[in-house]
Amino acid sequence: MLTGPGVAAWVCWLSALGAVALAFAGAERAGAFMALPAMQAATLLLACAVGFCGARAATRRRFDSALLHLGCACVMAGWLAGRYAVRTATPDNPAAGSMAMIDGDVSDKLWEGAYLTNYVGRIPFSVKLEKFIVERYERNADDRDAGREGPVREYRSRVTVSEPGASPYVANVRVNHPVRVRDYHIYQMSWGQSQDLYGRPVTYTVLQFIRDPGLPAVYAGFCMLLGGILLFAVRVFRLKAPRDEEEPS
Amino acid sequence: MMLKMTLQGGLIYLTLTLFLATGVALRGGNRTVGRGFWFTGFVVAVMSVAWRGIHTGHPPMQNLFEFFLCMAAALWPLSQWSRWRNGLDTDLQDALLGAVILFPAGFVFGEEVRRLPPALQSPLFIPHVASYVAGYVLFARAALMALPLMRPSNAAARVRQTEAAVRQAAVAGFALLTLGLLLGSVWGKICWGHYWQWDPKEMWSLATWLVYAGYFHYRLRNGVRAPGTLAALLWLGLLFVVLTLTWINVSRMFSGMHNYA
Repeated sequence: MLTGPGVAAWVCWLSALGAVALAFAGAERAGAFMALPAMQAATLLLACAVGFCGARAATRRRFDSALLHLGCACVMAGWLAGRYAVRTATPDNPAAGSMAMIDGDVSDKLWEGAYLTNYVGRIPFSVKLEKFIVERYERNADDRDAGREGPVREYRSRVTVSEPGASPYVANVRVNHPVRVRDYHIYQMSWGQSQDLYGRPVTYTVLQFIRDPGLPAVYAGFCMLLGGILLFAVRVFRLKAPRDEEEPS
Repeated sequence: MMLKMTLQGGLIYLTLTLFLATGVALRGGNRTVGRGFWFTGFVVAVMSVAWRGIHTGHPPMQNLFEFFLCMAAALWPLSQWSRWRNGLDTDLQDALLGAVILFPAGFVFGEEVRRLPPALQSPLFIPHVASYVAGYVLFARAALMALPLMRPSNAAARVRQTEAAVRQAAVAGFALLTLGLLLGSVWGKICWGHYWQWDPKEMWSLATWLVYAGYFHYRLRNGVRAPGTLAALLWLGLLFVVLTLTWINVSRMFSGMHNYA
């Protein structure tokens, strides 16, 4: 009774209210709130309850419901695994961080904070920025009227990755094209212009490194959700006569 | 707000006029004329999509403007489906919905192909947005079709028939909403590094998803015993959709990662 669809409807609507409340709080505060141990415990509880419903639906041969619920539970479990990796990260095994580089820099140190001033730790390979490249669209009439350059079309960091025990190789890190090295994804996060010690202008790039062991579980959950929703839709479209209506379980 | 002084614009405005004329004729009780306008509007909408494809030389599914054109052309077949499959006459509501969809295509979106910033250059861009838009259109149809359920009725067979059609529209919309959410999540991981950022727009989309998930659970628990409540739930979902599309996009209270959208 406690895990039937009647209760589940209210759980959905209350969660919707919670989501709206977090939308008002803004991304930063919402993320910090959900990182609280109490919220993660609550998510774990919810994942267990939803997973139980999915398993029960599977034993009743309701495979659409089973896939949907197990998919949701899987996504939540994957998220919790990612949070666990963040909580247990050490300077020898960081979970996330960034490095700002100019052409020729070599580094394996990650930093965080608005100005990348807080040391996070070292990744198990080193990265050398060969060249940072910004490409722009051709100027059109709008840009000429506004007296500016064309908007940025692409920016990318050409890096050489040196893993211990392997020969170094070159990779291009671009927006929407992260590079995977060991357990880390490398993202082209941002770029900017600054000055060096002698006041000469330099262009720097910011690369972000993220390790998320929960990601496979999250993606598996996504696949289950999609499969479940397709089965569910097929079932709803097949119902024709009133006698085919399902009974409330 | 701008007028399009091109053949494309002319086709859009002609479709818009025909859809509105459909509404006027059907409202005035003239069925034959109304259906004639509705079908002609569909033909012109298809011509508009076809011309866009011929004119730009690519399949017309590559930006929001083109996608709205496609949605407007998809409504006539959807209304035919509802008549054939569910025995419902949805011409009036679909014609008016079509006018609402074509309004941004005619007066808000530009025709020119935008120069996309790097973050938006992804094969996931169009599927992500298109799933949402198509899902929202189906949710709007579900809510409109559910309107008769709000009136007390003792024709149980009629209520069942309408409710089945409504639920079919809602489940199709829900599948597309889920797809949009998941594609956005995968894209977020590829582009921003995280599949979930607690961004206000993400949270409103999740809330919309949860409202419809609640509707399906409620329907499973109670059947069609309270059709008025089912209709009210679908209108609540549509309220979330409308808020996501308007308030969340416009208000500075919800600034976040989705600001370029």
